[in-house]
Amino acid sequence: MHNARSYILPLVMLLGAAGSTAALTVWGWDWLAARDSSTRVISIMLGSCALLGAIGWLVLVSLKREIGRLSVVIEDAATEGSDHGIAVSPWLMPLAESMTGVASSANAKNTVLSTQMREMEIRMRLSEVERAHTEAILDSLRDAVLVTDSFHEITSSNRRATELLGIVSDDSKRAHIHQVLGATDIEGAIGEVLSSGLPNVSRHIERSMATSLGEGVFDITLATLPSADANGVGGVVTILRDVTREKEISRMKTDFVSQASHELRTPLSSINAYIEMLIDGEADDETTRQEFYGIIKAETERVARLVDNMLNISRIESGIQKIEPTEVDFVKVINEVKESVALRAEQKDIKIVTKSGPLIYTAQADRDMMVQVVLNLVGNAIKYTPEGGRVTVEVDSDESSRAVLVSVSDTGLGIPPEAVDKVFDKFYRIESYKRVAKGTGLGLNLVKHIVETMHKGTVGLESEVGMGSRFWFSVPYETDTG
Amino acid sequence: MIHKIVIADDEAHITHVVSLKVSNAGHEAIVAHDGEEALELCLQHEPSLVITDLQMPYMSGLELAQKLKDNQSTKDTPVLMLTARGYALDQHELDLTNIKKVMSKPFSPREVMAIVTELLGGASEAENRNAA
Repeated sequence: MHNARSYILPLVMLLGAAGSTAALTVWGWDWLAARDSSTRVISIMLGSCALLGAIGWLVLVSLKREIGRLSVVIEDAATEGSDHGIAVSPWLMPLAESMTGVASSANAKNTVLSTQMREMEIRMRLSEVERAHTEAILDSLRDAVLVTDSFHEITSSNRRATELLGIVSDDSKRAHIHQVLGATDIEGAIGEVLSSGLPNVSRHIERSMATSLGEGVFDITLATLPSADANGVGGVVTILRDVTREKEISRMKTDFVSQASHELRTPLSSINAYIEMLIDGEADDETTRQEFYGIIKAETERVARLVDNMLNISRIESGIQKIEPTEVDFVKVINEVKESVALRAEQKDIKIVTKSGPLIYTAQADRDMMVQVVLNLVGNAIKYTPEGGRVTVEVDSDESSRAVLVSVSDTGLGIPPEAVDKVFDKFYRIESYKRVAKGTGLGLNLVKHIVETMHKGTVGLESEVGMGSRFWFSVPYETDTG
Repeated sequence: MIHKIVIADDEAHITHVVSLKVSNAGHEAIVAHDGEEALELCLQHEPSLVITDLQMPYMSGLELAQKLKDNQSTKDTPVLMLTARGYALDQHELDLTNIKKVMSKPFSPREVMAIVTELLGGASEAENRNAA
């Protein structure tokens, strides 16, 4: 039906044009015959032009309509699921078929490309998440991590590296490792690892270096990273672990062992020498022999005391020692200590005086440790106070700091000003005291540890050479044992 | 022959046992409790031998030995060092002194006496050579 209609219009138009042309020809011929030859030529030319224009216009109208139909048909072929039910004229069918084929194929390719693009977008988002995870993991490390390329330029670094080495993040310009590490030989080590040319090569070095956070000792791991083609080396990852604290602890332990062994050797020397003298019969009489036995016993006790103190301090320092807090009555503690040192005080004719206010002075503390603290302070006071002197032990309370305050004053030698800050140090002994009495150099250190480390209290002293000393400590009413 | 021997240590038990050992061997023991006292006694008595500890108040055993070497009257006096810290001594420092032997604590009085006899023998030979 549609096809038949499409033929009628051009046919009617063609017949109309033929009729009009015939009529015009008949009429025009007569009219031309009455004119001169030049007028006839012009008239024929004008008539032909008009005729050709009319035919051209008709053809153009027809073509425009067919092209419109053709574009709808191609669009239907290119768009999946679209069909306007329009057909083109038979003379345009070959062109329409060819173009709809091309459009269908383009449509199929477009669908594949869209799917691939969606997949790419998902992959990109996943890799973005993975990158963020990796960055977060690296930033959470306590070690500084630096990645350098084959030109020794920093391609990435974690947060710790930024803090430690003061790296300024600038995407437009990569910092050279030399700018960051300065004149250390780490750059050389990175170069050596890089020049190995092998992936998965690693090396450890230890260096002392200045950082933005101060001087420190670092355990440095250098490892090669594979290149993009996985056959060579593309860069080096440098991991800096701060071992300053570990080194310091290790040094302190070595010093402690060295100092302790020295302190133990002295009494052991005496024990060994006097035993050998007894074996060799160098002690002639019973009095000398008894004297030797006494020395051996005293020096053995000194070794035992030294070992006990060292173990106690070591346990407190390593956090193994726990306190068992009970309600400690400090008046009872000082009376107990007074009783245990009574014989020693009597031998030197030293008077022990205890003083306390009318209140009951109690604190949550480890009772045995409090006895040890008071005993060490009173023991020292007796040791370094000349015969006939006086030692005063006083208990009071300090309401402002909510603590029990115990002080031990003596009429002894006094402590030189330069030694005041050192007397609580491990193994420290005042030179001039060595001739007066024996000591391990650990008693006051233990006092400090028990009071400050274990009970969150305070120790202190006031002294004047020749006038005596006053050692004191305070323990809070409530000790936080956590 | 009776020799004067200065024994210096801040540990009274050590000076006591060493002085008893050398006295029993027939020598005269002179006891000092620190480095300064030891130097004073050495200059005063010009002993044949000095037995000293390393770590002492006021003046260390090493400083004492250096001062003895620097002094005309004691420049040849041999020194025996008894120390709990023998490892702390540098051979270069020892070369500047007359420290002939370093014994580590704990020590055996028997071995100390053997070294004393050896060093005094050496000293006697030197004296004899000088006399000749």
